[in-house]
Amino acid sequence: MEKENGAKPSSEEEMMERWRFGENKAVAAAGGRSIRATLNKVVSSVDENGPRPVIPLGHGDPSVFPSFRTTPIAEEAIVEAVRSAQFNNYAPTNGVLPARRAVAEYLSKDLPYKLSPDDVFLTAGCAQAIDILVSALARPNANILLPRPGFPMYEARCTYTNLEMRHFDLIPEQGWEVDLNQVEKLADENTVAIVIINPNNPCGSVLKYQHMEEIAKTARKLGVMVISDEVYDHLTFGSNPFIPMGVFGNVVPVLTLGAISKRWVVPGWRLGWIATTDPKGILRKTKVVDSIRSILDITTDPATFIQGAVPQIIEKTKDDFFNNIIHVLRDAAELCYNIIKDIKCITCPHKPEGSMFVMVKLNLSYLVDISDDVDFCSKLAKEESVIVLPGSALEMKNWLRITFAVEPTSLVVGLERLKSFCERHEKN
Amino acid sequence: MEKEKENAGKPLEEKWHFGHNKAAAAAGSRSIRGTLSKVIASVEETGPRPLIQLGHGDPSPFPSFRTTPIAEDAILEAVKSAQYNHYSPSSGLLPARRAVAEYLSKDIPYKLSSDDIFLTAGCAQAIDIVIAALARPDANILLPRPGFPLYDARCTFYNVEMRHFDLIPEQGWELDLDQVEKLTDENTVAIVLINPNNPSGSVLKYQHMEEIAKTARKLGIMVISDEAYGHLTFGSNPFIPMGVFGDVVPILTLGSISKRWVVPGWRLGWIAMTDPKGILSETKVIDSIRSILDITINPVTFIQGAIPQIIEKTKDDFFNNIIHVLRGAAELCYNKIKDIKCITCPHKPEGSMFVMVKLNLSYLVDISDDVDFCIKLAKEDSVIICPGSVLEMKNWLRITFAIEPASLEVGLERLKSFCERHGKN
Repeated sequence: MEKENGAKPSSEEEMMERWRFGENKAVAAAGGRSIRATLNKVVSSVDENGPRPVIPLGHGDPSVFPSFRTTPIAEEAIVEAVRSAQFNNYAPTNGVLPARRAVAEYLSKDLPYKLSPDDVFLTAGCAQAIDILVSALARPNANILLPRPGFPMYEARCTYTNLEMRHFDLIPEQGWEVDLNQVEKLADENTVAIVIINPNNPCGSVLKYQHMEEIAKTARKLGVMVISDEVYDHLTFGSNPFIPMGVFGNVVPVLTLGAISKRWVVPGWRLGWIATTDPKGILRKTKVVDSIRSILDITTDPATFIQGAVPQIIEKTKDDFFNNIIHVLRDAAELCYNIIKDIKCITCPHKPEGSMFVMVKLNLSYLVDISDDVDFCSKLAKEESVIVLPGSALEMKNWLRITFAVEPTSLVVGLERLKSFCERHEKN
Repeated sequence: MEKEKENAGKPLEEKWHFGHNKAAAAAGSRSIRGTLSKVIASVEETGPRPLIQLGHGDPSPFPSFRTTPIAEDAILEAVKSAQYNHYSPSSGLLPARRAVAEYLSKDIPYKLSSDDIFLTAGCAQAIDIVIAALARPDANILLPRPGFPLYDARCTFYNVEMRHFDLIPEQGWELDLDQVEKLTDENTVAIVLINPNNPSGSVLKYQHMEEIAKTARKLGIMVISDEAYGHLTFGSNPFIPMGVFGDVVPILTLGSISKRWVVPGWRLGWIAMTDPKGILSETKVIDSIRSILDITINPVTFIQGAIPQIIEKTKDDFFNNIIHVLRGAAELCYNKIKDIKCITCPHKPEGSMFVMVKLNLSYLVDISDDVDFCIKLAKEDSVIICPGSVLEMKNWLRITFAIEPASLEVGLERLKSFCERHGKN
């Protein structure tokens, strides 16, 4: 690179002086809080000569496994939409009407009131729903209540938009229920919302009716809305059934987030929604809905032909398909829970009954030369080629999040290797 | 219970702590979608039919513009393989990035690698990410006027100060580089170019592009070259990617398959580092882009999966046909406008899908400005045109000619008839 007078720059400083653009540090801070970033570090520890195959028990994406393959009906719906050539155009801001109607009807099945298509805003997956919602709520001085452990996309987006975060605990000994006393202490006049993830990532817990009712009443008392992240909706296989938070929409305004990503096992299709499960219309009256629409107006949409396929996907998928996925998850969760019971240095406080994950506690006192959860996961990746997520990524140091939604045969191999790793590093 | 009684009588704003986000509203108001929906709302139920859309740039529903079956087949193959239902890696699938790198490298004097490409959900998301990456406190960015309001919306959203430089109608909509130099200060980080140009339909000449590059280097700023309409030229100036001057100044090239393949609903675009000296890496701008990509959604994985086939197998016939239709439409549009007294076209369109024309209000009775013109046109003649005010050019109009040629004729006839009806005697 030459300077105007022909001399070459002598240092990096000169480079920085010469060019006026540079790093956005705020963004770097937000990006670091992503599961992707943490998992990339763990994965980089995998040894070239280590055991094979690599077993990914770190992230929630079973779409590549035969046991989890999506229904041909969904694939057919896409094929039809593409072939029609009716969906190559830009979509309207909120999403194409037939898709919104289909989602409204789908969600209404489990609620005591009917949603209209105008209550549904299509997003490019639940991740984009979170992005849009956090931006909509990020008024100056506002704060939001987030669960710990939680889903770091919320933290990343809050960091990025300067929406202050206040974390409340999920209580392991109480089936990972919300610590509502703590919630009341954390909330103040600037608190705008509380986020609930149910069925729960990362704990695998499913909330009970009474507890959900308490959450709703508490939120109303505090004057905050509930954001109910139901991306794992209907993926329950234990004793607690899935109950949408929208059931309490008359008690407190609820924004329900969802997607086809998990139930249909197609996270790469990027089709989700924000639904105003708020029969009293409070979110509309307070213009939160306007704020969401304003952001949607300047934001990229889900692919139009995937929107076009939604009615067929939702209406024609057979229960067989759903039941089969639940069946595979149930068995995988059982397997995971049972093998962990045999591992001395790991405790599982609550048997998973939903979603694709379980949180387990690491008992470092049983281990030699493992300093913390991150160290555990790096060494496990290196020695056994098994990937597990360090709880630190979720603000739970010395815990681990294990995904059981992988091909069952791979799960067995992975858990055996985990067990063997633990035995190797355990004190005598 | 007592607090609930207390709350019962309170107005909503006191009872609930959430409410309207004015900053978001300000950003959202700067959208073409928003303004056009107001114009469309003026259309009468009993007005002329069909409705003729000359307001937005989306010819995909029209038979003359239908995308190539090769693109559709590529998508179907990718879906049916069931190999692409998973989450995508942050920058996008490697084969797709490689295909885009090769595609772009054809027209520049150096080779791009797959690492120079970041896939985005359309050019719209590319704009979002790039503005976000540059949004340091106090930074300002140079934007063209007239321009593409999404830049303004995103700058408002991310609190990046905007400084507008003019495109000069009498000079083929070239940049006013004197003004650019005056607007720049030590906090200016980038200049945005849109070439081929939306909304004016102009295509930049080599020498002018070289001047732009040298000016940017002198000022220490990068160039963001929005080439969403890349290769869509049909006049005397060929399409030249700004990346040709990547040795002179660091350039971020934005693009997508939306326009050239006429599939804006597929949401597949890119940010390309056309910066052979690696300055954007050294100054960590690329790191910022990567950080954002780590917490942002990606394009649909199976659409990424189809990209190599879409790019490599589409025949020139298809591209040539689209250009042919656009050329005919631009010609038709330009000629019709010449016959309309109250509208002047300073520069015959030679690229993209639009033309900017000036409204001469002195020839009209009872039309107060461009917005009024467009609303009345929608109401009386069911023709939608974008008011120039949305693009900061009051009393100008942006007309889209990329629609079915038969409909374009009808629309332009109705426009002419409207102008005559409202013209002074």
